[in-house]
Amino acid sequence: MGAEPKTITPLPFFGDDAALVRALCAGHAGAAAAFFDRYARQVRAMLLATVGPDDEIPDLLHEVFIVALDRIDTLRDVTKLASWLSAIAVYVGRAHIRTRYRRKWLRLFSPERTRSWQIEQPSSEARQALREIYAILDKMPLDPRTAFVLRYIHGMTLPDAAEACGTSLSTFKRRLNRATEHFLRVARTRPSLVQHLQDGTRWNQ
Amino acid sequence: MEPIEGKLESLGKVLREALAAERSEGDDLLQARASFLRDFSRHHAPSSTLDVPARRRARWLSLALAASLGAALTGMWLWPRSVSFQVGESRPGRLGAVIESVTGHATSLRFSEGSRLLLHEGARMRVLSVGSDGARVLVENGILDVSVAALKTRKTRWEFEAGPYLVTVTGTKFRMAFYSQSRTLSLSTQEGQVVVSGACQKTPKKISAGESVVLSCSTEEDLLPPSEVTQDKNVPIPAPAEAQAEPPSSQPAVFPANAPARGEPAWRGLLAAGRLSDGLHSARLYGFQRACQLATAKELLALSDAARLFGDHSDHKEAVTPLHILRRRFASTTDASAAAFRLGLVAFERKHAYAEAARWFEIYMREQPSGPLMGDAFGRLMQARALSGDVDRAREHAQQYLHRFPEGPYALEARGILSR
Repeated sequence: MGAEPKTITPLPFFGDDAALVRALCAGHAGAAAAFFDRYARQVRAMLLATVGPDDEIPDLLHEVFIVALDRIDTLRDVTKLASWLSAIAVYVGRAHIRTRYRRKWLRLFSPERTRSWQIEQPSSEARQALREIYAILDKMPLDPRTAFVLRYIHGMTLPDAAEACGTSLSTFKRRLNRATEHFLRVARTRPSLVQHLQDGTRWNQ
Repeated sequence: MEPIEGKLESLGKVLREALAAERSEGDDLLQARASFLRDFSRHHAPSSTLDVPARRRARWLSLALAASLGAALTGMWLWPRSVSFQVGESRPGRLGAVIESVTGHATSLRFSEGSRLLLHEGARMRVLSVGSDGARVLVENGILDVSVAALKTRKTRWEFEAGPYLVTVTGTKFRMAFYSQSRTLSLSTQEGQVVVSGACQKTPKKISAGESVVLSCSTEEDLLPPSEVTQDKNVPIPAPAEAQAEPPSSQPAVFPANAPARGEPAWRGLLAAGRLSDGLHSARLYGFQRACQLATAKELLALSDAARLFGDHSDHKEAVTPLHILRRRFASTTDASAAAFRLGLVAFERKHAYAEAARWFEIYMREQPSGPLMGDAFGRLMQARALSGDVDRAREHAQQYLHRFPEGPYALEARGILSR
């Protein structure tokens, strides 16, 4: 017959988060698809904010769910499934940033994988600002960088962001203050960013 | 700091929008979903053995050796072809299609890499997918003899879904029987080893050559004996190429534990004998409501079937009442789920109440995600959504159906829904 290999897509799973977690612990295939469909957008947004635009976002997204599945039976409070996933996304994102720092020299051998944004011309002021801000963030230590992106770029509240980082609120605030001072100090040397910080947002998509 | 905080917040909002424009969300989700579900089905258990740090190191190595890996990946395109299969003497097998052995005959399946399946009389199964290293089979009900060929050049991987159970095989001979009513799995291995996971088992169970096991999470009384499954070690499972039409195996009667005793109402005996029309008439004479209060779960299903097939088509009460009583009296059983499916059928076929039908089919699928009727429930759900005007959900179900059953009985309809 020579049929092509077929991937089985599980049947839809119907149930709340508590039922979902139970089904995942039992290895229910339909629950895996429901788990992904329910939370993938949220996780992707978290990853995008944490690491910035990166060709490896799909791989990281996959990785977050694999790690979550691996640790699903350690989840104590199913009502915190969403924030638990956010914490895993932060963990995976931070690990990727560390790997990216170490891989910088590989640009010589694998330019597509770690391509520099400078190859492309920005198509809008907002995208230009995006590049400049992530260039600043890339030079920041990981802890304050994470605090900054979760609070301002991802738009989380202080308690939620602290929980996603796995730190106390006071520790998170200290990191955030460090990050903000560093950011403002560098941003003031960039004309487009200075304009915004003085006049407020002026870019429209 | 407050004014600057406000500006940073508004800057963050702009950055979120810019980030969203940088990449295609749909492409990212699609790619990640496919990888994730592929990994899940491969590893299955929640305690995945995937080593995150090792994967990330592998990615590091692949970058460093990009050129040589590219050559290796090119070579991987010369991947062995997936197996094909035929049913009976010469009929090409179709993925997702129901294969059922009729009365008095066994049905053999031959796979191109040498594996053989023998479906006993009354048994029902589907081949869900095939690959280069094996296949995935759904055993809906009945007895199946399996002989999986061990390949010289690579590992085989065969998987058999039976209700909530998953039997994983890598080259062995065994017999399995799954009884959907009692959700009992019986398994005996002649050669090699199989691993059974799923359902209420905490850890996967290995059944080695010469061992047999009966597994059930059911608390119902009518567990079927495994005697027809246990094999004599000296009696090999015949290769299907040599198989004759086997003598009928001891199939359970419709009501194995409920044969009515002397003095019982006549409708019970008639239903037990499969005489639904006569049984319905007798139940009416007895008092239909009274009969429903007395009936077992299976008798309630039979009464409803009888009313649906032979009753007054303008009055649905007799078809529906036994099912509601069953769901109340025998809640959380497989029969209660079967009642949900039948309520969907009545709503669909008799009342033309498609939204209601969709609700019942969804209930069945939620209660019995791997149940024997899930293929039909899924197809019917898709139809009900389409007929009730819920186009978006009908399309969603159609896509999911085609992924699961690309050649299934509702595939043509699913493609029709998607093409609108």
